[in-house]
Amino acid sequence: MATTAESIAMPGASASEPEDPRDHLMLDPRPRGEMNAMVMESMHTTSKKFWGVVIFLVLTVLFALVGAWIYMIAEGMGVTGLTRPVYWGIFIVDMVFWIGISHAGTFISALLRVMKYEIRRPFTRAAELMTTFGLIQAALCIFIHLGRVWLAYWLIPYPNGRELWPNFHSPLMWDFMAITTYVIASTMYLFMPLIPDLAMARDRSTGWRKTFYRVISLGFRGTEAEWKHLKTAMNIFAFAIIPVMFSVHTVVSWDFAMSTRPGWNSTVFGPYFVIGALHSGIAAVMIVLFMIRSTMKNMKYFIRPEHFDFLGKLSLIVSMAWAYFFFNDYLVPWYGGNKFEQLLLDFHAHGPFAWVWVSMLICNIVIPWAILWNKKWRRTPWLMLVVGIVINIGMWIERFVIIPVSLTITRMPFTWRLYKPSIEIPITIGTFALFMLLYMLASRLIPLVPVWEVQEGQNAHILRKVGKVSIPSVSDVD
Amino acid sequence: MAEPLTLVVLFADIDPTVNAIDKLHEMGITDEKMDIISGIPFNQEVLGRPKLSTFIPRLAMGGAMIGLIAALFLVFGIPGLYPIRVGGQPMFPIPVFFIIAFELTMLGLMGTAFLGLFLAGRLPAYEPKMYVPEISDGKIAVVFPCPVEMQAQFEKAMLSLGAEQVRSVEAKTL
Amino acid sequence: MSIAKSENTPSKWGMVIDQDLCTGCQACVTACAMENNISFAGEDDVAYGRSMQWIHTERFWSGQYPDVSTIFQPILCQQCGNAPCETTCPVYASIHSDSEQINVQIYNRCVGTRYCANNCPYQVRVFNWRDWPRPVPLNNQLNPDVTVRRRGIMEKCMFCIQRIRRAEDAAQVEGRQVRDGEVEPACVQACPPSAIVFGRLDDPESQVSKLARNGRAYRLLEELDTQPKVIYLTGDSNHGHNG
Repeated sequence: MATTAESIAMPGASASEPEDPRDHLMLDPRPRGEMNAMVMESMHTTSKKFWGVVIFLVLTVLFALVGAWIYMIAEGMGVTGLTRPVYWGIFIVDMVFWIGISHAGTFISALLRVMKYEIRRPFTRAAELMTTFGLIQAALCIFIHLGRVWLAYWLIPYPNGRELWPNFHSPLMWDFMAITTYVIASTMYLFMPLIPDLAMARDRSTGWRKTFYRVISLGFRGTEAEWKHLKTAMNIFAFAIIPVMFSVHTVVSWDFAMSTRPGWNSTVFGPYFVIGALHSGIAAVMIVLFMIRSTMKNMKYFIRPEHFDFLGKLSLIVSMAWAYFFFNDYLVPWYGGNKFEQLLLDFHAHGPFAWVWVSMLICNIVIPWAILWNKKWRRTPWLMLVVGIVINIGMWIERFVIIPVSLTITRMPFTWRLYKPSIEIPITIGTFALFMLLYMLASRLIPLVPVWEVQEGQNAHILRKVGKVSIPSVSDVD
Repeated sequence: MAEPLTLVVLFADIDPTVNAIDKLHEMGITDEKMDIISGIPFNQEVLGRPKLSTFIPRLAMGGAMIGLIAALFLVFGIPGLYPIRVGGQPMFPIPVFFIIAFELTMLGLMGTAFLGLFLAGRLPAYEPKMYVPEISDGKIAVVFPCPVEMQAQFEKAMLSLGAEQVRSVEAKTL
Repeated sequence: MSIAKSENTPSKWGMVIDQDLCTGCQACVTACAMENNISFAGEDDVAYGRSMQWIHTERFWSGQYPDVSTIFQPILCQQCGNAPCETTCPVYASIHSDSEQINVQIYNRCVGTRYCANNCPYQVRVFNWRDWPRPVPLNNQLNPDVTVRRRGIMEKCMFCIQRIRRAEDAAQVEGRQVRDGEVEPACVQACPPSAIVFGRLDDPESQVSKLARNGRAYRLLEELDTQPKVIYLTGDSNHGHNG
């Protein structure tokens, strides 16, 4: 059990201001029953404003997503801004963006778990929910961009009377395999650590909620055997889903890298996209945590400035890695040898979309580097919200530059044409609305904080006196 | 002889729990008869209990093999059965195989691990069970059968070792 | 049979386009549209780049006034041996025909991912962005040998494969080989100065093979090793060529 310390100095604290260990969630334990009650209360407490926002989102989804999509299916892809040579536009930008967002969940839930970063404990589930809901938007965008979406099932390898099978030479089939694997795996990985919390919710609910939780908690009690099986399965997943996460965005990047287009045929796209995914994903986690903390009851106990501090540091490192890969991808064509790639770079930096390209660099590099180095600023939640939004705008723009802007320049100058999006904009807004709607509804039904993991972590943390200071230590009870 | 009662002893901490388990061994309750139910996982070594094994890893390996075989069929079997020439690429593309094999192997691994959780834990299980809701509030419960006439003895022993509560339970739906 | 990319893919049907003879009259464009039931996209869509032209004529100006010269380049599907469009189609709608050695587009298999069009370095693929209307009596002009495509489907030149098959059928009925010059795709048939010649590239005596051996012969974007079956002949030394 973590000891609460009143006047014990923590290392790294200045002489005038000893750092209070209770600032850290892991060193500020409360009885499990109390934490359970806090989480249940945050699930049940709603307000008129909440339901007002939900209704607004439902209407947005109905008109901007569903309605616009049905109109597009009926009229054809001509209602978009696509044309020769820009055959892929904002729909694919959205798809890559949402898959990028989904990578943060796996990163936090799996990679940090494997590396035993205890600070991940209170927000793994919030991140995993982002993964699942982000992948739903990505899947929608894939279907939306198809010219004959009613035949999308032809990509599934199934025996049929015409003896037709899909073409595995195509990066789109690799996409299909990778994204399917990732969706299924991350949904399972969301569900498994959720089971004990659903059992807790079952024990503390009445009425229809109790029936609901009773069914989906599968009769879990917490016996030694059940924990053993659950932990074994979770361990397998934690290790296995990390390479899957890397492979998914790499495979998505190969949709572009396998192509012959100037600017797309780059060997650095694999890692470049993976880092880009982490960049936008970690920023999105910052946004989600701010929203949870500021709109839900009792969440200020679980989500603290230390978490924003950690995410901010991570985001700074990833921003530097992104800048490294971007520079790699820029330097090689800039150096010369390929006329069309140099024309493309010139078009990026000086063409009609140059303001977009410059904004991308400001949002992805300048602003994070200017803000995230400062510890006090990293521990300011609203500022991290702003940085998170700015980075996500920058990363959406990055995909916009890579896809429709780069597609404008081909080896046949007679075919160059600028992209003017139309119905893509409401549909994009619709996917954001659906993401937020799903998240808000989930916050009513699923405990957003994995309380059993928080208690497990708090149990394992103690303050150990070493010399003149007390140092937090974690026991490795695994 | 009356049916033995099922006693539930609730502890707030791990150390008294472990002492109580030892005391129960002394009083004649063997390891197979008792069950430790808790709101967070505890290692068998920490509890001093016999090691548990699970077949989930082996099942997951089997699932991974199935995924690999599926990938072999998709990338090599299909062009073997229905060859279609595209783009001057070889009919049996090896780099493509690595990609599809990796994804499907991982899917097989994780899918069967998930399935294994259900099979090994015999979940979902909605029949009546021995349980008290205090467990999900973080208490550690030691559950064991005790003869009716010895109930008072066990109660006294457990309470003296720091148990918060001792009571008998019946199986009921969760 | 596995073909390594560095080897030359087999040739059969091919085309030679003489840029010195081409006047840019676009009779080929019109004839192709008539032969292949191509839709009329309308002014707004064409202005946005969505013209439904399986063969289109590109114009390049060179020189300064008054010595300006124009180069016309009719571009159609190059029927690449190593077609970048074929590998990317997830449903095998764009595949290599072993019997004609051209790239065939299977309309009713296309799901509309448009990856093939992105990957075509010549940008010759054409997508059905809408169901454009074909007001009466234009529907009477439809060619029964060719299907009509709905929205969401990718289409492109296939060297008038319906005419190739018809000629091969006729030859088989008569128990002979197809004669050189007997198969004329619509563009070849319509071209007034006969700038486009079509025939068997694997027959060294055919007119198209002889023209392909001309000193003025070049292929577009040769460095990509797509191995196109369309060979261009440059104009005189003042005329440049694309790429």
